[in-house]
Amino acid sequence: MLTGSKTTFKVRQMLPDIKERMLSQSGVNARSRDVFGLRCLPGECVLQRVVMVRKKLTAREGRGWLSGTLFCTHFRVAFVPQDSPKVDDNADPVLLGDHDVALASIEKVVVVGPNRTKLVTPNSSLKFTPEELVLYCRDMRVICFLFDRLTPDAQVLEITYTIAKTYQPLRPGSVLSFQNAALGSVEMKQFLSNRRRDAQVNWFESASDWEQELERCGATSWRVSSVNDRFEMSTSLSRFIVVPQKVLDTELKKSFAHFNEGRIPRWCWRHPRGSDLLRMASFQNNIYHEKDDIRNLEMVLFGCRSSLCVVVELGEELPSPADVQLALGRLRALCLGDISTSVSVPDDKWLSTLESTHWLDYIRACLRKASEVACLLRGGHLTVALQEAEDRDLGCLVSSLVQLMCDPLCRTRHGFQSLVQKEWVAAGHRFCSRGNYHRDNDKEEAPVFLLFLDCVWQLWFQFPSRFQLTDEFLLAVHDSVHLPLFSTFLANCQRERCKRSQNLGQSYTPVNGWRDALHPDSSSDPADPPLPPVWDWALQYSRERQARFTQPVPPAPPLQPLLNGNLNTHPDSHRMNDTPPGSVFLLSRGTFTCPANLPPWRSGSSGVYKKSHRRALSSESVPGLERLLKAWSLSEFPQNPAPGSGPQGPQGPQGPTDAYEPLLPLLMGPCMGLWRGCYLRGALHAQAFSHPVSSLAHPVERLAREVQQLQARLAQASSPEPSPPAVTAEPRRPDANLNQNTNNGTFLFPASRAPAPPTAPPRAGSKNHHAPWAPPPAAAPAPRPGNKDSPGGNKHTFLFGHSSAPEARPDPRYYQLAGAAKLPKSSGPPLSS
Amino acid sequence: MASPVSVYNSNALDPHIRSPPREALKMEFLADVTLLPGEDRITDKDIIYICPFNGAVKGKVLITNYRLYFRSSDADVTVAVTLDVPLGAISRVEKMGGASSRGENSYGLDITCKDMRNLRFALKQEGHSRRDIFENLFRYAFPLSHNLPLFAYVTQEKYAEVGWSIYNPVEEFRRQGLPNKKWRISFTNKSYELCDTYPTVLAVPVRSTEDDLKRVAAFRSRGRIPVLSWIHRENQAVIVRCSQPLVGMSGKRNKDDERYLDLIREANDTPKLTIYDARPNVNAVANKATGGGYEGDEYQNAELVFLDIQNIHVMRESLKKLKDIVYPNVEESHWLSSLESTHWLEHVKLVLSGAIQVADKVCSGNSVVVHCSDGWDRTAQLTSLAMLMLDSHYRTLRGFQVLIEKEWISFGHKFASRIGHGDKNHADQDRSPIFVQFIDCVWQMTKQFPTAFEFNEHLLLTILDHLYSCRFGTFLYNCESARDANEVRLKTVSLWALVNSRMDIYLNPFYTPESGRVLYPVASMRHLELWVSYYIRWNPRIQQQQQSPVEQRYRELLALRDEYLKKLEQLQLSDSSTSSDLANSSTPNTTPSSTSTPSQYTHLQTPL
Repeated sequence: MLTGSKTTFKVRQMLPDIKERMLSQSGVNARSRDVFGLRCLPGECVLQRVVMVRKKLTAREGRGWLSGTLFCTHFRVAFVPQDSPKVDDNADPVLLGDHDVALASIEKVVVVGPNRTKLVTPNSSLKFTPEELVLYCRDMRVICFLFDRLTPDAQVLEITYTIAKTYQPLRPGSVLSFQNAALGSVEMKQFLSNRRRDAQVNWFESASDWEQELERCGATSWRVSSVNDRFEMSTSLSRFIVVPQKVLDTELKKSFAHFNEGRIPRWCWRHPRGSDLLRMASFQNNIYHEKDDIRNLEMVLFGCRSSLCVVVELGEELPSPADVQLALGRLRALCLGDISTSVSVPDDKWLSTLESTHWLDYIRACLRKASEVACLLRGGHLTVALQEAEDRDLGCLVSSLVQLMCDPLCRTRHGFQSLVQKEWVAAGHRFCSRGNYHRDNDKEEAPVFLLFLDCVWQLWFQFPSRFQLTDEFLLAVHDSVHLPLFSTFLANCQRERCKRSQNLGQSYTPVNGWRDALHPDSSSDPADPPLPPVWDWALQYSRERQARFTQPVPPAPPLQPLLNGNLNTHPDSHRMNDTPPGSVFLLSRGTFTCPANLPPWRSGSSGVYKKSHRRALSSESVPGLERLLKAWSLSEFPQNPAPGSGPQGPQGPQGPTDAYEPLLPLLMGPCMGLWRGCYLRGALHAQAFSHPVSSLAHPVERLAREVQQLQARLAQASSPEPSPPAVTAEPRRPDANLNQNTNNGTFLFPASRAPAPPTAPPRAGSKNHHAPWAPPPAAAPAPRPGNKDSPGGNKHTFLFGHSSAPEARPDPRYYQLAGAAKLPKSSGPPLSS
Repeated sequence: MASPVSVYNSNALDPHIRSPPREALKMEFLADVTLLPGEDRITDKDIIYICPFNGAVKGKVLITNYRLYFRSSDADVTVAVTLDVPLGAISRVEKMGGASSRGENSYGLDITCKDMRNLRFALKQEGHSRRDIFENLFRYAFPLSHNLPLFAYVTQEKYAEVGWSIYNPVEEFRRQGLPNKKWRISFTNKSYELCDTYPTVLAVPVRSTEDDLKRVAAFRSRGRIPVLSWIHRENQAVIVRCSQPLVGMSGKRNKDDERYLDLIREANDTPKLTIYDARPNVNAVANKATGGGYEGDEYQNAELVFLDIQNIHVMRESLKKLKDIVYPNVEESHWLSSLESTHWLEHVKLVLSGAIQVADKVCSGNSVVVHCSDGWDRTAQLTSLAMLMLDSHYRTLRGFQVLIEKEWISFGHKFASRIGHGDKNHADQDRSPIFVQFIDCVWQMTKQFPTAFEFNEHLLLTILDHLYSCRFGTFLYNCESARDANEVRLKTVSLWALVNSRMDIYLNPFYTPESGRVLYPVASMRHLELWVSYYIRWNPRIQQQQQSPVEQRYRELLALRDEYLKKLEQLQLSDSSTSSDLANSSTPNTTPSSTSTPSQYTHLQTPL
């Protein structure tokens, strides 16, 4: 998907290659792409190397030990296993191998010697020779290397000192030097500036991105306003915001002053039953208000059809960012133990200590709040506005959780990435401050985004079959947050991102000219390396590992595209027609109130509101709203007789018929899990009696692959023309880079729209990708009706359902996403293996 | 929105009875309730079930000689409630309130069950309405206290397979490669003279004589001498089980016992024999006061390790505490610390880690002796779990049945005393959930190794349900001699007959056989989980999760596969005239079937 263009490839290959060969021949162990088996980045220097090191493998990696060579460069600690396949020199640079740790992710370096353990700091000197080197990482990995007895002491000491001196945990500016080490070379800059962005992700940067989302959700009475185009109205909001059609920009402009940081109510998402989700900051009540202001606010809140608005205050029942920071700190300490003294919480106190971190409580509070909102939205025809003081932390979290619960698209990998772009990146979550990447503001540090990831994991854990993405993907996002390399996380708002890229200037013009000149997010400057977005996974993960980010065969609830928000055509018993138009309710602690003084500046003159607008503040609809919430608690009861009590005969695909029925998690104490795969990854005690587990894939995975192959065969057998879908024509194998580069000649078209069929040699290509025993496609004439419409054919079953009417022609936007959802199918490891 | 009517069924027991044999019940109350052959209706009544989750529910109750059945009758209640409780699961029936008590629903019955729930019923106060139902419940829930037979002796159920033949000790020893040069099969206990709580067939060192065995028996509590339970095929290390030596306060010695243990060590020629005493050190010392004790330094070439597992009373109290925090309502505010304070998971952890130590020792070639006080509670847990870790045969559906028959039933785990089948004495200090704890440990292992076991969670639940139900003879009585005396195998049906008649529902679809692999679960609180779908299964919110999401996903995929196979087949049929090539290529796969068996699965994998 994202690759350098052909042109830059040549440049990159020519220059360093000559240099490298010379250097390695002269025996200098630096500045080459392949140093003693380590594939270096351009400009990366190997500082130390020790052979015959064994790495302890985690349960996920299959446990046991792996022998190989340990390296320390000025960018990472790398480990190259023995007999690891030699990588093609022409392959794109990968920042980190499967066994590598970036120096910036290391939190502590600990050595274990005979009968003792010592924390190694840049200044410490060791009085013993380490037998074991343990790296504690910020992302909660614990990586353990064992030195061989035959390795000279000096070598062991040197690499330990080198790592301790180079990782420099707290020095200001270390982030920048780390970034330079990784991305600062001319070759890397050029490489990055020619990366194409993933067209399957909605980046929510341009007006058209937002318009695309409005159209997808069928939110017709909303429009994209560019009133904040130059960040004059609100510095922390994005350039484009979505507001009601009815409200003019001039009216809108007056509203900004009444909200904290000018973060006025903006549209985020529309439920197919016609409810809209809005976000806003708290009201500014220390300025003078005119009558018009109130009218404007009402316009913004009620601008669209709905007659009822529920303001959900997020402050009260949810943790503050400081709480989150404290809780994660405790959780880390608990899971990793006190590193310096190697004292960990005694096993018999584990549960109560885990409870006292409050981490799980906070997750539950967030999920509960999101479930409430999801239930309100499901009721249909109302507006739910999430209000948070600053609207930059838990607003992001709750709003995106609600969409994950309600919108199946968000549960795909690309949909999730788009969601994060919309609700976190564009909405101005202060990633940079909250992550405290520069170690200069501890007060602001708060892993709100990590709390969100854990909430998503909980949902995934309870409903794995409703997700296309996997926990491995969540883990990859989690780990990337701790790597200060991505533009996604290294700015606090869109303005900062734009500023950075504009100030940097453009010394290298993008070769393909595809990028919008206004937003060169990865332009280069000798001083400041261009930062890639985190979603450019190829920089970090091999194709094999990326393939595991999604389920081999995505779960297929009968999804319909959101057609103009018209799912509400069937009668809805909870629709509240009796509500007088324009009522505002406040939801707090599970109860609804009609606030006399919302917005606060009308306090004392609440009558004005009623009179001037002739709207009765009816409390009659309160029971209706409460019924919506009650439906949630009832829905925790099973709809069917317990499946365990009946004979568990063959059961067809389960799941509600309505794909937009929200996923409401169980929130009882016993149902909240600890994300062991993340927090207990490195827990060494867990491996006391470890034993290598089966190398075979889990039977589910194997069955999934089988289904995948059948699908492919079916696609082949049923397509009369030898025209495999575009996605399969795109080479996905790691060794196919040359092909990929030639494909990239067509970079003007987003990958998934590439009109592959006429050009690609289809039969050969598809044969390679599908089962080796697949029948020749040409021999199968019988076409399946309805599959001929789009070039994707029945490849699009995932989003459109198998039985979607033939005439329902997919809109190209959905087609794109459908392609996205489908991609992983063909991206698995070679099937014959 | 659809009205939130949901039906939940508290019966986890009977997936088997589907076609109702409705003989002559047409006009009766709750006539559609399917009864077992031999099950008779005793009484029925209008009653109010005070459901802890839905409040008072009006309905009808039916009592038979096997079960208590309740069904709600109100049409307008949002949640239809059905209860189907085998009377065997009842540990206590009490009257609640008197004829004069005031307040709604204050007059009725309070029933405590052995399977982690309580039931409360309210009746009308007029006319001693509960006397009849109370008396019948009391009578049929505790038949042994009323000189009535257990239901297992009444039932007329018939199954194709006779479950009693699943375990044959001689065959099982043969499977392990016994007898061999070092170990012989002894029938000296054939009339239970050597030890009345042991099975008739024992494996002992070749060099020990029958007289030796008798002298050793005199020095071991209740004559439970060290005998072989399992032998490692390659390194010949063995697991030997027994009871504590009768050392006493004076520190008695017994040369025969010492020599006998040394024979065990010599059998595979290792320098040291490891003796695992399951008890905490202090308890072992305290046992000296009652004539017991532990092996001291006089046992040369042996090392003694205490495994710190608490006794049956501690376990009983621990599970009681667990019940308090999960039934009826799950403790919300401090769930984890409440769970911790029950210590249940900690006990599970100690049992598992003890078994891991045993398995690890055997795997490294050292023979071990395992005992506790009498060698029928903790010892059974340790040996059976260690064998489950070491021997993949026991991880199959039938192998697991053999394991239970062998280590628990034949070696005299006192099921009758620990469970109190048919006995009204609910406060009996001999009762203890030792077997439940063992099944919990097995469940923990299946969680940590989801592909290593051929059976699924449903089997474990079924076993635990029938541990109490008294419908099968499997778990009745304390030992083989008592079973023989009561002709269990002649007069009752085995639980395994039921299980093996519908094996498909107990199979783990993910099972990947790997013989010879030793499983070492992680015995740390960080990785143990509460078995929610057993302990909290009566909570209607939990039931939603009974089918594991992964399994659900698997079934979805199976359905998808079948759909594709069918489509492919159709395509090929319509196509066969033009292309024979295509039909050939797919013949092995075109057998769409709704259930998957592992063999079929591997078959499908082969072309890849």
